Amino acid sequence: MAPRSAESMPWLDPMVLPTLALLAIVIGYPVVDTLLLSAQDYNLVGTEPARFVGAANYWKLLGDPTFRDALVNTAVYTFGSVGASSVLGLVLALLTENVAGRRGRLARMLLLTPWAVPFVVVAFLFRYMYLQNGGAINAVLLASGLVSAPVSWLNVSSLAMPAVMVANIWAMTPFFFLLLSAALAGIPGEVIESARVDRARGLSMIFSIKLPFLRNALVIGNLLMIIANFNDFAKIWAMTQGGPGYSTTTLVIYVYRQAFESFSFGYASAIGVVWLVLLLAFALAYLRAVRAS
Amino acid sequence: MIVQGVAIVVALVWSLAPVYWMVATSFKTELEAARLDPTLWPHAATSENYRNLWGGSLPFASFFANTAIACLATAVLAVAIATPAAYALSRGGFRLRGAVGHAILLFRMLPLVVLLAPLYLLLLHARLLDSSVGLVVGFTTFGLPFAVWMLKTFIDAVPIEVEEAARIDGYPRWQILARVVVPLILPGLVTTGTFVFMEAWNNLIYPLTFVTTLEKQTLPAALVLTFTGQFKTDWGGMMAAATLTTLPLMIAFFAVQRSLIRGLTSGAVAGA
Amino acid sequence: MASICLRHVQKRYDDVHALSDCNLDIANHEFMVLVGPSGSGKTTLLRIIAGLEHVTSGELRFDGARVDDVDVADRDIAMVFQNYGLYPHMSVYDNMAFGLRRRKMAAAEIERHVRRTAKMLDIESLLHRRPRQLSGGQRQRVALGRAIVRDPAVFLLDEPLSNLDAHLRVQMRAEILKVHRAVTATAVYVTHDQVEALTMGDRIAVMNEGRIHQVGTPGELYDAPVDQFVASFIGTPAMGFIACRVHRSPESVELSTGSVRVRLGDAHANALRRSDADTAIVGIRPERLTVASEREALTAEVAVRGTVEAVEMFGAEQYVHVRTDGGSITARVSRDRPIRVDETLTLAASARDLHLFDHATRAALR
Repeated sequence: MAPRSAESMPWLDPMVLPTLALLAIVIGYPVVDTLLLSAQDYNLVGTEPARFVGAANYWKLLGDPTFRDALVNTAVYTFGSVGASSVLGLVLALLTENVAGRRGRLARMLLLTPWAVPFVVVAFLFRYMYLQNGGAINAVLLASGLVSAPVSWLNVSSLAMPAVMVANIWAMTPFFFLLLSAALAGIPGEVIESARVDRARGLSMIFSIKLPFLRNALVIGNLLMIIANFNDFAKIWAMTQGGPGYSTTTLVIYVYRQAFESFSFGYASAIGVVWLVLLLAFALAYLRAVRAS
Repeated sequence: MIVQGVAIVVALVWSLAPVYWMVATSFKTELEAARLDPTLWPHAATSENYRNLWGGSLPFASFFANTAIACLATAVLAVAIATPAAYALSRGGFRLRGAVGHAILLFRMLPLVVLLAPLYLLLLHARLLDSSVGLVVGFTTFGLPFAVWMLKTFIDAVPIEVEEAARIDGYPRWQILARVVVPLILPGLVTTGTFVFMEAWNNLIYPLTFVTTLEKQTLPAALVLTFTGQFKTDWGGMMAAATLTTLPLMIAFFAVQRSLIRGLTSGAVAGA
Repeated sequence: MASICLRHVQKRYDDVHALSDCNLDIANHEFMVLVGPSGSGKTTLLRIIAGLEHVTSGELRFDGARVDDVDVADRDIAMVFQNYGLYPHMSVYDNMAFGLRRRKMAAAEIERHVRRTAKMLDIESLLHRRPRQLSGGQRQRVALGRAIVRDPAVFLLDEPLSNLDAHLRVQMRAEILKVHRAVTATAVYVTHDQVEALTMGDRIAVMNEGRIHQVGTPGELYDAPVDQFVASFIGTPAMGFIACRVHRSPESVELSTGSVRVRLGDAHANALRRSDADTAIVGIRPERLTVASEREALTAEVAVRGTVEAVEMFGAEQYVHVRTDGGSITARVSRDRPIRVDETLTLAASARDLHLFDHATRAALR
């Protein structure tokens, strides 16, 4: 498309219309509706009709301890998992970077396997492995003498979240591994060679030479995964449904339960709006911080 | 050197052991799968778990077919709709280009669970609840932002001179897209379609909420719903179902993984 | 074929002026070369003629009719891109037939056109191959073929030879000219290489920083550059310039600076008498300078004494770079007399070989 002078450039290209139309109807309209719903006391199966209550739902949110727990859980789950995965992914990428030939390719391919497993399957698989009696993990721990009695991973509040996060990290690490491997491969050979001439080795080579080249990939990869993890439903729901108690309840789980177990659409929408604002604020701050440095 | 080798082996075990465990369990009898001291490999290997899936009380074949058809349709539809949009965003020439690009990115970030309530009401009124059409509409829309973003990076890589030559040869934009650009990004189309396919396959919350008849359910939702009943203690059967759910995704993934990375990273890595 | 006319053409991108007040007339079937350094706007001008860019203001006419708003596809032009722009997924045959198919020509007739053009360019054996199987030179021919086969009114070529090695470039120059003679189209050719411009163009437009400095035949540009930029851009090696102080007396006008002495001929003297500038810039083509003996130096009209900075061997000749008080100058002399670096010598020339430029405007003074 020839860049025309500003006066004659059209406003919109018809080619984007189908995409925009679908997005507007299926997502845009519900977003608006969510805002409206959040200001109502709307119960799908309630006996009373919907009432407009203004900001009442939001006040309720402020005093809701479960909401606060959900926020904390979401933060821990998201940032903890993404952080650990990117570090592990980086380690794996650096480990396999120089393994050449068929063996290297095979190893790298096999390391990607967890990413190809559907989320629901990850959840059930780990749920099976976390079984107190008969679970593979306890069996290994008992056999190696690391624990003396079987641990109830998913039924103890303090252990449930870490357990869920481990499953998440297992599934997410290959993404960072692949991303960073590609980024490492993209570092110009001359840079590495001149660093070697300058006697850079080992850790200093990694930190001062290679890491700056990985910065871009890390930034984008982290942002993508943080957004994805914020929305994670399948892995948690299929493993613990947010329990025991509310220890693994993230915002997603909380909204879902409010909307489809308690049928309080109004309140669920209010949580959603707050969540949306938080996510937007985070993304903006993140991008600005990245652009500044 | 040795440390590196050991570390890689440890990493491989960490990555593959759970998958092995899933497949191994799927060949165990219900009794063996529930043993308090689990066996490393099936002592009495059996394929009864798989046979039960196909001939049992659960319409597993329906689940599989529903999921496959919906995800395939989604992949094709999403790519078909996203390609012109990605082309328009890549080549520019309209004033709202920046705004549209940001808007599409924004849609990607939206917490979909939040939209479930109003979406439920919307689908209810459109009578698309509990239907495969409603499923495909939802999956496609959710996959569009990512598809547009990914396709745009592939289209950006096509040299503009080839398109200018086609313009000089007299072709209008739609034809240039179809006859010149698309043939040059075929790997990108396949990769993007596969990724959308995988995302749709993984989606639990949408079918769980909007499909109410069990026979019409997709695999992820079916696994969750039937777990309380059928599979409560039948871990062998559950793992067999899990393995079958995993297989298509794994095949699709490994078929395109190289191209997938190129598409994902060309934007990310280029800054180096 | 078509005549092309540009009037007061301006092209602005945000705050950047890519083209300022460009005026150009290209006659039917002329081979016009646009030459200039990178960033001079020559490619922008070409793309405006093609229709790939739009003018910010000004007029563009083909055969007298305005084509500013006519779409690329309707302008009856063909273009050869610097990177060829071949369709990678099509065979050579399909690359050439693509444009013809759009016109709904019969398949048999398309085949006739394609084969005839392929024969002209000696690429018949390549018709079934894909671009990635071809060498750079072969791809260039295919790009040329794709343009020719459409039989357009105007040929546009955007630095088509820059990606070829030197030997191939010389060969292809002749090919392109041969093709141009065989067809009726008008050609506009963009290059940054002034040698290419001089050897190929019927007329040349020298551009710099978005302006057209001079339009003329190679001879005109070489012998009568209109300003210092054109004088320095055209010619190998480049013309050297010396800034001198002006001394006006009733009998003559002389220029001097340090060890440089110039006695002007009548035309130049009158030009300088008309102005009151006290500095002027002198330029001499390298091949017009000779190394003078002491005696010749005294009687020469132009005597430049300086120190040798560098000597380059070029076959039977040598290029001598001399530094003087007013600037550096280059002489192209035979290798009979060996010259050493740091040697002091005098270069001589006759007054009629001088080019004189205004110190402030850089315009030529005649």
